[in-house]
Amino acid sequence: MNQIAYIDNKPFQLNQGETILQFLRRQCGDSYVPTLCDAPNLEVYGACRVCTVDVALSENGAMKSVASCHTPVMPGMFIFPHTDRIQRLRKNIIELVLTDHPKDCLTCEANHNCELQEVAALTGIREIRYEEGKNHLHVEKDTSHPYMRSDLSKCINCSRCVRACDEVQGQFVLSMAGRGFDAHITKGMNSNFSDSACVSCGACVQACPTSAISDVFQSKFTKGATVTRTICTYCGVGCNLNVAMQNGKIKSITAPYDAEVNNGHTCLKGRYAFSFYNHPDRITSPLMKKNGKFEPVSWDEAYQYIASKLKGIISQVGSDAIAGISSARCTNEENYLMQKLMRVVIGTNNIDSCARVCHSPTALGMQQTFGTGAATNSIRDLAFTSCIMVIGANPTDAHPVTGAKIKQQAMKGKKLIVIDPRRTELAKYAHYHLQLRPGTNVALLNMMLYFILHEKAEDHNFISMRTEGFEDFRTHVLSQNIDELEKITGVNKNLVREAALVYAQSDAAMSFHGLGVTEHTQGSYTVMLIADLAMLTGNIGKRGAGVNPLRGQNNVQGAADMGCQPHQGAGYLDITDPDIIKLYESFYGCELPQNIGLKIPQMYQATLDGKLKAMWIMGEDVAQTDPNTQLVKEALSKLDLLVVQELFITETAKLAHVILPGASFFEKSGTFTNGERRIQRVQKVIDPIRGTKPDGQIITEMMNQLGYPQPIFDNEKILDQEIAQIVPFFAGVTWNSLGINGKQWPVLKDGSDTEMLHAESFKRGRGKFVHASFQESNELIEYAEEYPYIITTNRELEHYNSGAMTRRTANKEILPEDLLLIHPDDAINNNIQNGDMVCVISARGKVDIRARISTDVKPGVLSSTFHFPEIMLNNITSNECDTQALCPEYKVVACRIKKSKIS
Amino acid sequence: MSKNLSALSGRKGLENNLFERIGKLADTSGTPSQDDMRALSEEFLIGEANIYATVSFYDFLKKENTGIKAYVCNGSACMTAGTQDKVRQHLKEHFLENQIGEMSCLGRCHEGSAFHRDGKNYSGNNAHQQDHYHVENFGTQLLTGTALTIDDCIRQWKECINVSPDILLHEIVSSGLRGRGGAGFPIGIKLESCKNEISESKYIVCNADEGDPGAYSDRYLLEKQPFSVLMGMMIAGYIIGAHDGVLYIRAEYPESIQIIRQLANELMQAIQSEMASHDFSFRFSIIQARGAYICGEETALLNSIEGQRPEVRVRPPYPVQNGLFNKPTVVNNVETLASLPWIIQNTGKSFAAIGISKSSGTKLISLDSHFNKPGIYEVDMGTPLSYVIDVMGAGFKTQIKAMQIGGPLGGIVPIHKVPELNVDFESFASHGFLLGHASIVCIPENFSMIKYLEHLFKFTAHESCGKCFPCRLGSLRGYEMIKRAVDNQKLMDRNLFDDLVETMELGSLCALGGGLPLPVKNILQYFNTELSAHFTQ
Repeated sequence: MNQIAYIDNKPFQLNQGETILQFLRRQCGDSYVPTLCDAPNLEVYGACRVCTVDVALSENGAMKSVASCHTPVMPGMFIFPHTDRIQRLRKNIIELVLTDHPKDCLTCEANHNCELQEVAALTGIREIRYEEGKNHLHVEKDTSHPYMRSDLSKCINCSRCVRACDEVQGQFVLSMAGRGFDAHITKGMNSNFSDSACVSCGACVQACPTSAISDVFQSKFTKGATVTRTICTYCGVGCNLNVAMQNGKIKSITAPYDAEVNNGHTCLKGRYAFSFYNHPDRITSPLMKKNGKFEPVSWDEAYQYIASKLKGIISQVGSDAIAGISSARCTNEENYLMQKLMRVVIGTNNIDSCARVCHSPTALGMQQTFGTGAATNSIRDLAFTSCIMVIGANPTDAHPVTGAKIKQQAMKGKKLIVIDPRRTELAKYAHYHLQLRPGTNVALLNMMLYFILHEKAEDHNFISMRTEGFEDFRTHVLSQNIDELEKITGVNKNLVREAALVYAQSDAAMSFHGLGVTEHTQGSYTVMLIADLAMLTGNIGKRGAGVNPLRGQNNVQGAADMGCQPHQGAGYLDITDPDIIKLYESFYGCELPQNIGLKIPQMYQATLDGKLKAMWIMGEDVAQTDPNTQLVKEALSKLDLLVVQELFITETAKLAHVILPGASFFEKSGTFTNGERRIQRVQKVIDPIRGTKPDGQIITEMMNQLGYPQPIFDNEKILDQEIAQIVPFFAGVTWNSLGINGKQWPVLKDGSDTEMLHAESFKRGRGKFVHASFQESNELIEYAEEYPYIITTNRELEHYNSGAMTRRTANKEILPEDLLLIHPDDAINNNIQNGDMVCVISARGKVDIRARISTDVKPGVLSSTFHFPEIMLNNITSNECDTQALCPEYKVVACRIKKSKIS
Repeated sequence: MSKNLSALSGRKGLENNLFERIGKLADTSGTPSQDDMRALSEEFLIGEANIYATVSFYDFLKKENTGIKAYVCNGSACMTAGTQDKVRQHLKEHFLENQIGEMSCLGRCHEGSAFHRDGKNYSGNNAHQQDHYHVENFGTQLLTGTALTIDDCIRQWKECINVSPDILLHEIVSSGLRGRGGAGFPIGIKLESCKNEISESKYIVCNADEGDPGAYSDRYLLEKQPFSVLMGMMIAGYIIGAHDGVLYIRAEYPESIQIIRQLANELMQAIQSEMASHDFSFRFSIIQARGAYICGEETALLNSIEGQRPEVRVRPPYPVQNGLFNKPTVVNNVETLASLPWIIQNTGKSFAAIGISKSSGTKLISLDSHFNKPGIYEVDMGTPLSYVIDVMGAGFKTQIKAMQIGGPLGGIVPIHKVPELNVDFESFASHGFLLGHASIVCIPENFSMIKYLEHLFKFTAHESCGKCFPCRLGSLRGYEMIKRAVDNQKLMDRNLFDDLVETMELGSLCALGGGLPLPVKNILQYFNTELSAHFTQ
């Protein structure tokens, strides 16, 4: 049905439910009607009133002035956006605003990028007729924070910052205080940015129409800057970033509103933690260790040295004496080339990536149950779900934009179940927090499965139409002893029952999981039970449902997709399958190794056993981030050749024979694939720092050096002509067609992509129920008596993994060290005060960490991070691994504590 | 308005109401401590900033006002009565200058002089004087007759609960009852829309915070006809399927709060078994306001109950769709709700037969101390205004040049227009005035209109929530401009003044900023000569 409304007496079609403002913008352009309090990612607010228009309900009918932003357009409405009185109204409102606004446009940061300036210019205002009265022109600036700035003399009280802090981030740091003319922005209880609960996401900065709230980078000052859209490298969310470059330097970063992934939002890492890129610590020349010291050498010398060493090892020991670790922070193209280098040029399947130490159980567990080791749904589904289960993940810290989206849904009343040993931010907002003992996920999930089956809340239809193995599974689950599981997990069974039924009985329930699921000896089984839970309740293949791993690093998904795994090549194809071998061999025109290669933990062991002689590590700091540091270091030190591609001299690079200076993501182009399978374009913002090269270029040059001729590195060609040709689910991917929001794989030949997997049938045909019983970790069986505490590792918002990047930004000022969360009872028992150094001792070693006393952990449970090499938490983590995927168990470490001698 | 804050406050609901909690924290020292606010923010999972911001909004919560021990009423009626300087002088004998604040209004307009101390209101003429005013009716005695008792309520409740909500709704729709708070919106439509919303919880809110200076009819109903109000809420609740009734009552009416608290409790106990046997529960929550006129605006009031800053929300969504705690809510004024029991008792048709076609029923009118017989008068809609003034109020004590009728945003009726007006919505509207609460504040001949203008702008500037630009900025700039004219004989730029008034009228979000221009324009029109000396030509 055609519904018509009139703009200046001309008919236009309206959309059901849109406001007059949306209607006018759609028909006449975004800037047709001026606004000040409106923002693309915020709810309608109706404060500034400059969007007011005249409206009549019939032709020549009586006119009424209404704010277009919150008035729905009606069929037959006659809208007059620019009558004389409306233009006068806008000018008069601006005149009032300017009675309380500094007239310092020429020296203002927002000059030429100020919405007030823009609207004032539109109204043609020439004078302010009011005499000077009460005003806020002398409000003090806030310079308390490493990033955030405010100069509230420039505030126009539009509340966009307040709303951004509430509606986008959900932090409630900002509010308006006072009333009437005295209404003013407050941070916390009249505090400042630094002392408030601000998480420095910068949503308020981006929302501010003037420069009342800005940052140290003066992100409002964009005149003369070139803006490049690229993808953040700080986690698997894949935020799109608009990076402003001025005079060859990165100036500031904002988040594009039209980004499907992050809709104008990002976190303090994405927005502010970029200054590492030209930090003086950057390596700017290849370095070779000569007489125990690194010396700068030419690229040629480095390449020749590496080539001759590698050739020597191949001829003397064989290709399998060499191994590579690729980087989940590098692009798909670089990861693809890295595995190609190892497989095709060197001739070994000893290629792995950090997916091993984070989500390998996810890939394995989901492949076995569903057939595909990737998120089944998309983050967008949060809008459609009615129940969210977060297990073993702390997304508000580790995946802040997704975390904020989950929090928004939970605050508004969607059911949230959090399964975590810690009272995380989301746990506070959860309807059910199942605070289990670390390492007991399998026990807890079995309890949930039990109750669903016991109460007959399963989805019979889905089970019979879509799955297999149910009867066995059912028998196994119902045979569990619930009271015993209750004791094991430490979670009240009634609470588990309620949560399980809420999950089962919701119209659509979606789960998110993180490393708190995978980094356990039963990691893969936990993933399988999560998959079971989804299948049991019919939560697969529909909107607002699914199993959704939260990928840690920006391109973990891509590293695995590209074949940086010892058992699967590019596109997850089985490298032991004769047909596949044939396919790869014809594609690469050479013979390929056919035996499954070494996984990362096996590489260290092989080195210690003297079987592995050389390792090539691209952009991973395994010496700091892999568990049991001493063992890792011992292994790396034993190698005949360790090549490291890095930005900085990391703990791993220190042990290298050759360091090749790579380029950061700002300095290269390619693609990253985020946690929802979205392949997005990374676009070069600046040239590589002098002396460095994009990692893809380094590998390409090395391939040439090793006698495998390759054309000059060109990321577009690698994607279009190699990856898209060999990776089945990239079939329709081309650099040009990815567009600004990328595409979610599988991308079919015709270019269409896939928001949701397993909609009609599972990749493997029928979904497979797998059952598993709880098994105590060996770590506890062996050491719990002597080491009665459990320390579990996690991440802090401010830092990213090894911290090599974030520690070289002002994030370090916000959080200068790793901290140990310890329950007040444990603190008292050990005579520990808040801020004391605590010595944490495990069977491997000991570390000293500063205590933060908190009830977020239960008694007996400790928690900390490994962002700082000065602490080196992994000195105490163990060699226990997931029994199926060999992902290390970072989450359960038996330890004892005492007050440290260090102060 | 924050949906998140609404929902988070809603999680704790009315049993553990955030705003009441904040209020209680202020009871001892006048404002909550930082530690208390922090603890509350943690408990409610909201920001410290949110609690702080709410506290800073209200006259009786904010830190700046903690030292105030006594409050002089500065409502329009007391002001034009010219009594309050004397009251202040008297209070100074007991308190320091900075211990004396202002409140608006205490509802003692019939005395034209009042103050507040230690949670009680007193006559400014004599602290021991009884609170007494005339109550009379002309025509149907609907709200001013013998007050309902608990037994009446039980009887009526039994009758109601045995018929379907639709039948009751039909009576109310056919009564044609329009909201008595000012806007005159038919309550039947509100109830019907809310009834049609599907939601686990719904709310009936009684807006007992329409603090229009000059109007004390709500106070009369709350204190003298409390069961009519409570019963009206129960009827409305039964119709829409709400199990919670919230009375949000002005802090300036401490006696009203006390009476309603007690009687609501008694009623609930008396009616409990009836509820149980019909499987319909209803309970009352009484929320004490904390001194902000804007809370009389229904969406600001909802924000206030939730413990948010009482800023005005945009519409749509309307409260019937998305009201208290984001749930469907009917907000009505005291007098409107108090009319429901009569309608149900006597049929909607009988109610519709009272008054005139579009303005059915009766209206309470509050007369101030300038009348010979100040008090609350109930008249049938359509009664000539002159009858109310000359007969019921027995004329003026002094020479009066104009009256502000319908609160601070009501029109300024010059005395010569009185014969043209009847007490109904249409008559007032067609003459460029507003019936509003039908409170009458007299402006004596010797009270200068520029001072009255200053009062109107000052009141609006003080009470503006600060959300929309025209009201937040315009009310203050207008006040400053007029103050300069009053204090320094500084001439006002007429074009600028007209622009300002038009900006507030066309641009304001709610009826505060948008309503101020009505009396201002009335004054400019009818008292042009008196004012011309203050304007540039």
